[in-house]
Amino acid sequence: MSEELDITGGVTRMESAFGSGDGDEDAQATVAQNAEIKGAIFEQTYRPWRGTLGPRWVRNYSIYRHHVYGLFSSKGHRHYPVMVRLTILGIFLFSLSPVAMLFLASMGGNGEFGEVLSRLWGINRYNLWGQVLGFFPRNMCMWPLLTALVVGGMISDDRGNGTSAIYFSRPVTRIDYAAMKFLSSAVVLGFVIVFSYILYYTSAIVFKGEGWAFLIDTFPMFLGGLLAGILLVFTYTSIGLALSSISQSRFFAGVAFLATIYGTKMVAFLIESQFDSSILYIFSPYDVLAHIGQWLLGIESNYDHSLAFSVVSLLLINGSSIALLASRVSSLEVTRE
Amino acid sequence: MDSQGRGLSESVWTSLDRKAGAVVELTVRQLRNKISTWVVMALGALLMALLLVFYVDAIRDGFESIDNDGDSVDMDRDGYPLGQEMKYGTSDWDGDSFPGSGNYVFEGQIDWNDPDRTITGNRTWEGSAILDATWIDYGYTGGMWSNIIDWQDGDVGQCPDGDAFDDWWPPYASACLQDDGTYVVSGKFKASGELYAPEGYYLTWGYYTEVFYVEPDPAEMYIDEDGIDWDGNSGSQGVDDDGDCLRSGWESNLWYNPDSNRNGIPCDVVWYVDPNTGEVISINADDFVDEDPVDEDYAGESSHRAFVIASGKVAFVLLLGLFLPLFLALGLVRDETERGTLHYLLSKPIHRGEFITYRVLGYLAVVSSYVIALCLLMALITSLIGPGDDLIRFSDFPVWIGIATATILVLAAYGSLFNTIGLVMPKYGVYLCIVIGVWEFAMGFTTIISPSSSVTFLSISHWGLQIVDATVLAAWPDTLQYSQMSNAFGLDTGLEWIWRPPVHTLGTGNAYLSIFTSTAMLSILSLVLISIGSSIFRRKEIM
Amino acid sequence: MSSENPAVVMESVSKWYGEVIGVNDVSLAIDGGVTGVLGPNGAGKSTMFKLLLGRLKPNQGSVRLFGTDPWESTAPFRRVGYVSETEPLYEWMTGLDFVSTMARLHGMTREEATDRAEHVLDFVGLSDVQHKEVGKYSKGMRQRVKIAHALVHDPDLIILDEPLHGCDPLARTSIMSVIRELGNRGKTVIVSSHILEEIERITEQIVILHNGRLLALGNLHAIRGLLDKHPHRILIETESPRELAEAFISREPVYGVRFPDQGFLEIQTSNLSAAHSILPQVIVESGIKVRSVENPDDNLESLLGYLVGGG
Repeated sequence: MSEELDITGGVTRMESAFGSGDGDEDAQATVAQNAEIKGAIFEQTYRPWRGTLGPRWVRNYSIYRHHVYGLFSSKGHRHYPVMVRLTILGIFLFSLSPVAMLFLASMGGNGEFGEVLSRLWGINRYNLWGQVLGFFPRNMCMWPLLTALVVGGMISDDRGNGTSAIYFSRPVTRIDYAAMKFLSSAVVLGFVIVFSYILYYTSAIVFKGEGWAFLIDTFPMFLGGLLAGILLVFTYTSIGLALSSISQSRFFAGVAFLATIYGTKMVAFLIESQFDSSILYIFSPYDVLAHIGQWLLGIESNYDHSLAFSVVSLLLINGSSIALLASRVSSLEVTRE
Repeated sequence: MDSQGRGLSESVWTSLDRKAGAVVELTVRQLRNKISTWVVMALGALLMALLLVFYVDAIRDGFESIDNDGDSVDMDRDGYPLGQEMKYGTSDWDGDSFPGSGNYVFEGQIDWNDPDRTITGNRTWEGSAILDATWIDYGYTGGMWSNIIDWQDGDVGQCPDGDAFDDWWPPYASACLQDDGTYVVSGKFKASGELYAPEGYYLTWGYYTEVFYVEPDPAEMYIDEDGIDWDGNSGSQGVDDDGDCLRSGWESNLWYNPDSNRNGIPCDVVWYVDPNTGEVISINADDFVDEDPVDEDYAGESSHRAFVIASGKVAFVLLLGLFLPLFLALGLVRDETERGTLHYLLSKPIHRGEFITYRVLGYLAVVSSYVIALCLLMALITSLIGPGDDLIRFSDFPVWIGIATATILVLAAYGSLFNTIGLVMPKYGVYLCIVIGVWEFAMGFTTIISPSSSVTFLSISHWGLQIVDATVLAAWPDTLQYSQMSNAFGLDTGLEWIWRPPVHTLGTGNAYLSIFTSTAMLSILSLVLISIGSSIFRRKEIM
Repeated sequence: MSSENPAVVMESVSKWYGEVIGVNDVSLAIDGGVTGVLGPNGAGKSTMFKLLLGRLKPNQGSVRLFGTDPWESTAPFRRVGYVSETEPLYEWMTGLDFVSTMARLHGMTREEATDRAEHVLDFVGLSDVQHKEVGKYSKGMRQRVKIAHALVHDPDLIILDEPLHGCDPLARTSIMSVIRELGNRGKTVIVSSHILEEIERITEQIVILHNGRLLALGNLHAIRGLLDKHPHRILIETESPRELAEAFISREPVYGVRFPDQGFLEIQTSNLSAAHSILPQVIVESGIKVRSVENPDDNLESLLGYLVGGG
C-alpha cells in the first residue's frame, strides 16, 4: 500500500473514490430514477481528486490528537469512560503527593515539623528514584493500572470493531498508525509519570528557595531520573501496545499487561527469596527498569546480577514488543475480526 | 411430559440435575474453546515448572553446611578466620592484626571529666595531651588513617602561638613542639614521661603483647560449630558450644553483653513452650549462642517448608488465584450478552439465578481441576525429592491440599465477584475489575509481609493466604518452632517472612479455627456475591 | 397438549424504553396454527417477542404464556421454542452437538437429547451436515439449525423472529415448508417478517404492528377485503398507454386511469381481484403490447399506508 502511494511528500495526487472536503461543490451524484423502471444500471463515475494532500505530519497529528484530547473531551475524540478519566486524574494527583508535602514543609517555616517533612520528601537520589521507580505504591498500584487503562483499548478496539478501516482507507500508512498510537499512549503516560516527576523536582527547588549551587549539584541526578522515567514510559507503552495488538478486547489487553508486570515480578521475588538468585529479575520489566534507574541515579543496586543483563533484557523486551506490534499491525484486517 | 415417553420415576430433581450438568458442561466446553484459557493455563504450568527447576537445582546441590554466623570468613586475608581473630581480640579488617601479631592491651584512662589529669609512665598512649617526654619511640609512626602520630624522626614543627587546646587545637595524629620543650600531641604514640590531659579531653594507655606464632585454624572449624541444644522443654537452655559467647579463655577483652536476653543467666537460650501443645511459642537467645547449627538437620527442612509455603502463597493463591478469574470469569455471562448467544440459554426452562450458579460452577470445574492437577504435580515431585529419611514426605500432602483448597476458594470468590460485576455493570465492569485486580494484588503482597494489618482484611487474597498459613500450622505444627528458630538465631531460611502464624484464630491460636474462619469467610463471600448476581440478573431486562 | 390456556395472551401491554415506545397498548390472543407478525423494522415485533419470552417486563398490561407470566416464571419455556433473529451461534460446536446440548438444557438425558437432536435435524433437512461445525454452515443452514434447536423439545408454541431474513430463495422455500409443516401438525407458530409476500406464502393469519400499535389482526384476505373501500392501483408498462386506457376505462370495476410517466398506465380500482380477472382479457382484446404488469399496492408499505391513513 505504501509503495503504490507516495504520500510521504507534501503534495500528491491520489485516485480517490471520495473527496475530502474541497472540490465537492461541483460533485455529481447519480440519483436513482423512478423506481418503477425495471432495473437500471447506474453509471459509476469516479472523479480523480486533484486537491492538495495535507502534509504527513498533519494527518498523523490528527490521529494523535484524537487519542490524547479524548482524555479531556470525548466530542469527536476517542472516548475514555468517566471512570478511566477519574482514575487517571486520581493517579496523577497521588503522584504529586510529595509536592503537597513539600508545600506543607515550606509553610511550616523553620520549625521541626517542616524540617522533618522536607527531609522525608525533599530531593535526594532515593526520592528522585522513588518518584518514578518506587515499587510501592507507584509501580505496584499506579503505573501498571494507568498503562492498562490507557493502552488496553488502543489497538484491540480497532481490531474488535473494525475501526482500523477508518485509518487504512485514508492516506495513513500502517507505520504512521502504529507510531501515532504509540506516541499518544506514551504522551498520556508521560504526562502522569514524567511530568509529575518534573513538577516534583521544580517545586522542591521553588518551595525551599534553593540556589544555583543546589541546582548544579542535583541537576545530573534529575536528568538521570528523567531518563529513567522516559525509559519506563517507553517500555510500558511498548509492552502494553504489543498486548493490545494481539487481543480483541481492551480488558484482555489490560489484564495481560498487569499479569506481565506482576507475574514476572512475583516469580522473580519468589525465586530470589527461596533460592538466593536474583537473575530472574531480568524477566521482570519493572525490575529491569529499576536496576537501570538505580545506575542512572547513582544508587547502590540491590540486584546481584550485573547491570549488563538488565540493559540487554530491556533492549530485548522493547525489541520483541515492538516487533510483535509491528507484525500484528501489518497483518491487521481492515474488517471486524 | 408423557408425550416424550418419560417414566414417572423421573422427578423434577433428576431433570434439574441434568440441566445443571448441561450448563456446566457447556461452560466447560466454551472455556476449552477459548485460546486465552489455554494460554493462561500454559503460563501457569510454565511458572510451576520454573519453580521446580530452581527447587530441584537447590536440592541437587544439597543443603551444604552454611556458616550462619559468618565467623569462618577471613576478610583481611591474613590466614586466620574471623572466629579465631575474635578469640584473640584482633581485627578481621586489618591484615596486620592477627592472633600473635602483638595486640594492644588496654590498661587505664583519664576520662574527659576525671579530676586527676596528670600521669607518668612508659606506655603506649592514645588521646590528646601535653607531653613532657624522657623518651619517644620515633619508629612507632603512622598518619591520619591509623591515628598514630607521625613524629618525622623527631623533627616535628613548632606549635602556633597561644594556649594549646584553648586558642588552637592540634590536628589528628600530629604533634608539635612548644617553646618550653613539651609536646602537644593528639593520636597514638609510644613514649615515657609525664603527660597532662587537658580538661574536656581523654587519654588512654596500655601495652602491646609479645609477638608469637599461632597456628591458623581451618575455616571449617567455624562452620556448623554451635548446634541448637534443646530438650523440648521450657526454660533456660542452650550451650555455647564454640564459646564465642562465654569467651572463657579468650584473649580478647572487648566489652559485650553476654546476657542480651536479660534473664540473669549469661549465654543461654530461653525457650517458651506451650504446656498444652508442646509447641514452641517463642525463643529468646543470648547473642552468639546456638547460632550455627548443622544445616543438614535444620536448614534443609526449613527451606523445603519455605519453598512449599512460598509456592502456595505466591504462585498459587496470589498469581493463579487472581489471574485465572480475571481472564476466565468476567465473560461467563457478559460475553454471552455481548455476542447475543444468551438467547439460546435463556429461552430454556432454567431459572436465571440457577443459570448464574451453574455458569460459575462450570468455570470452577475447569479452574479447580487445573489447580488440583498442578498441586498434585508439585506435591509429588517436591515430596519425593525433598529432605528427610522417608521416600515420600507424606506430611507435605495436607499442606498441598490446603493450598489447593485455598486457591479454589479464592478462585470461587473472585469468579463470583467478577461475574457479578460483569452482570451489574456490563459497560464499566471491565475497568472496575482491573482496579480490583490491582487492589487485590497489593493487598495480597501486603498480607504476605504483614498479615495482621487490618486493611488487608478487605481483600479476598488475604483470606486465601490465611488458609495457607493456618493449614501449614495444622499440618506441620513445628513450623512455628522453625520460624522462631530462624528469628532467634538469625538464620536465613526465608521461613520467617514467608510464613506467619494465622491471624484469624479468634484469639485462641488454634490453626483449625483459623482454617474454619477463613474458609467460612470466602465461602460466604462467594455465596453472597453469587446471590447478588443472580438476583440482579433475575430482574434484568435483556435486550 | 390438553391445555385449557391459550398459548399467548397479551392484555393491553405497553413497553417503552425511556422516551421510545416499543409496544403500545397491544391486546391479542394467539392459539393454534401459524400466525404471521408483520411490520416494518422498528414496529415492535422483536419487543413483543421479548415480552413473550420474559426478557422484558411490560410497563403496563399483562403477558401470559400458557396462562403463566413469563417474567416471573420460566416454567412455560418448557413448551416454547424460540428462534432469535441474532446471528451468533457457538461456532465451534457441530450442529448435532449444538441441538443436543440445547435439548439437555430442557432436562433430557444425554441419549434422549442425541436421539431428539438427530430427529429434528432430519426434519429441518440438516442430517447430512450434522457433524460439521456450525461455523462452517451457510446462512440458510444456520437458520435451520436455529429452528432445529427450537424444536428439539417438541414445544407447543414456536416463535420465529425473522427466520427468512438474509436467506437465499432455496433456503427460504425449505424453511417455509418447515414452518407450514409445523402448523399442519397442530403447533402454535408465530413468525415475524417485514415482507408481506413471505408471510403470504406461509399463512393467512396475520398480526400487523406499526409503531408499536396493533393495526390489524386476522385473515390476510379478510383484512384486504376490509380495505377494498380504498382505491387499488395496477401499473402497466406499455408502448401506447393511452389506447390501453381507453380499453380499460369502460370496464367495471375500473373507475379511473392515470399516466404517471412516459410509457406507463395506472389503473385505479376498488376491487383488486375483479380487476385482475378482467386484465388479461382486455389486454388481449386491445392487441396492445404490454411489457409488464405490476401491483404497487401489494406490499406491506401500501397496506400499512391504508391502515394508518384509513384509521
